[in-house]
Amino acid sequence: MLKKIALEKLGDLVSALMEKGPLYAPVKGEKAVDFQEITNPADVILDFYNTAMSPKFAFFPQSEDLIRYRLGKEATESEAVSLDAKPSVILGVRPCDAKSFEIMDRHFLGAGIIDPYWNDKREKTTIIGYAFDPSTAADPADFYNTLGISASDTAGSDIFMIRTDKHLLFKGITEKGDRLLKELSVLEAGSKTDEKTFEDKAKKGGEVKTRFMEIQDKAVAGKLVQVFNNKEFWEKATAACISCGACTFVCPTCYCFDISDETLFRDGVRKRFWDACMFTDFTLEASGHNPRPRIFQRYRQKVCHKYSYHVDKYGCISCVGCGRCTRSCPVNIDIYSIIESASKL
Amino acid sequence: MTAMKKIEENLRKEAKRLLEGGEVSVVLAYGRGYDENHPMPFAARTVEDVDSLVFNEYCTFNLARYLPKYPPKTKIAVAVKAADSRAVVQLIQEEKVRREDLVILGIPVTGMKDQKTGEVIDNKTTCNMANPVLYDILLGDEIHGFKGGSPYDVLAELEGMDHDARMAFWKKEFEKCIRCFACRKACPMCYCDPCFMDASRPRWADKSPTPDGHLMYHLTRFYHLAGRCIDCGECSRACPVDIPLYLFHKKLAKECEDMFQQAAGMKIEDKPAMVNYGNQDSDEMLK
Repeated sequence: MLKKIALEKLGDLVSALMEKGPLYAPVKGEKAVDFQEITNPADVILDFYNTAMSPKFAFFPQSEDLIRYRLGKEATESEAVSLDAKPSVILGVRPCDAKSFEIMDRHFLGAGIIDPYWNDKREKTTIIGYAFDPSTAADPADFYNTLGISASDTAGSDIFMIRTDKHLLFKGITEKGDRLLKELSVLEAGSKTDEKTFEDKAKKGGEVKTRFMEIQDKAVAGKLVQVFNNKEFWEKATAACISCGACTFVCPTCYCFDISDETLFRDGVRKRFWDACMFTDFTLEASGHNPRPRIFQRYRQKVCHKYSYHVDKYGCISCVGCGRCTRSCPVNIDIYSIIESASKL
Repeated sequence: MTAMKKIEENLRKEAKRLLEGGEVSVVLAYGRGYDENHPMPFAARTVEDVDSLVFNEYCTFNLARYLPKYPPKTKIAVAVKAADSRAVVQLIQEEKVRREDLVILGIPVTGMKDQKTGEVIDNKTTCNMANPVLYDILLGDEIHGFKGGSPYDVLAELEGMDHDARMAFWKKEFEKCIRCFACRKACPMCYCDPCFMDASRPRWADKSPTPDGHLMYHLTRFYHLAGRCIDCGECSRACPVDIPLYLFHKKLAKECEDMFQQAAGMKIEDKPAMVNYGNQDSDEMLK
């Protein structure tokens, strides 16, 4: 199903989507653009390259309450936080990020245990993907082509949006997407010409070139196992690393979390929140022993988890080449270059 | 000012000489990153490594940050711009590195650029000095007559706010915090091991990212850097969500300067203002 709306009527579409439930869309902050829950339709922008933070927060917020409790003198009362996500929409997700949801699903839904918190929000959310502008060169940090993703890939989106000179075109990709398109009366039906334009534009997205190297999941996974003990390589590759968590927190496919009870005057919440394998205390054991005390060991874990262990366990590389880790690294460590060098060893 | 290409040439020449002669075992400087605008901190250990050294307007990193991690008595050459040299001086004062272990390669330079925005870095986010305060070898000519404005000019707006407005300003800024700790990790003066934020007994702040925890983390860090922050601006450049951390650091630095007539990291003979006692010290805070 193809629908369209004139560019100047974006506000009407945004208002219509807001009526359906919470809407997350790109908003310009002081410097960066990021997804925010929209309260004013005029805040939504479509002129942006990509958001600073990934959209994973929509299903996996940085902090999430699991249980609320009250410590009693004798017994503790507790109550599980109920799952009550509202049907929501994320508008303007770039193809590499849309792909990340499918990768995260394998972990949160496909590992034998279904994570109810991820699942609840994931099921109720409709993702409107948004093609990169083919006339804008890819950011030098990006390498989504390497992971087999193009600037106009529809995989992972429920609806895919392409911008033309005067219109926004919407194509239903999944049943959920078609359903939403049908409900949105502000949209006009697309004509045959529009369909042709959509196809042409989508094809043009394939011409956007990011950094690229030929990699094959199983081969790179095996290679990393082989170079695991090459301490010299890892130390050199990560010599500049300052061991902060910026790369993992901006990453759309990093899913590690910690759980902690936070109590104030007997009232408490058990929460889960993002954690990072780059942190010193990530593997710190109660005894005081730390199996990964060195920075190179922690960085190696990050690379190997994404490009090796994830391939063995879930059958795909856990990276979409969005370039955020490289862009946000205070010292410009580049996972692409590390994989490239490791492959040549 | 000496051209950056010339500084790069001098850097390579000196690094080669120092490593070849065995005067140092490592040269901490800048190397190639994934493109020209994104160089990286680089530790050259061999003569072959020297070819990878670069210097351009995007070499903003404060390499003093890496000094405390080397085992004592390691002979290190370190490339420093003005603010970075103040960090080295401060680390010497705090006995984290020894002067005799260092060969300081000073870089007199102005007009460094922010890697994210391409804008020139000036007195808004840094101390904006041009010449290193301490060096053994200068990699370019000393700069004379550079007027970059006071590093405290930027504080006017914040100082004009009343208490409530200031609190509201910072709470709003901290709302953006994702607790990645890039500020702490990029800071040359944040070398505590473990940092109070990593301690679990007692736990000083919520482990999860809560607004109260953000206040606890940032305010404690700000105050822990009082009289120690040398205003290099690394924390703010490292921040992936653009919190203007430099504002608070600058305010504390200004207060310290007013009270103790001493700026951080200017002379190795100084003692850090907050651990030193003198009869002439201001008792303004006790009133």
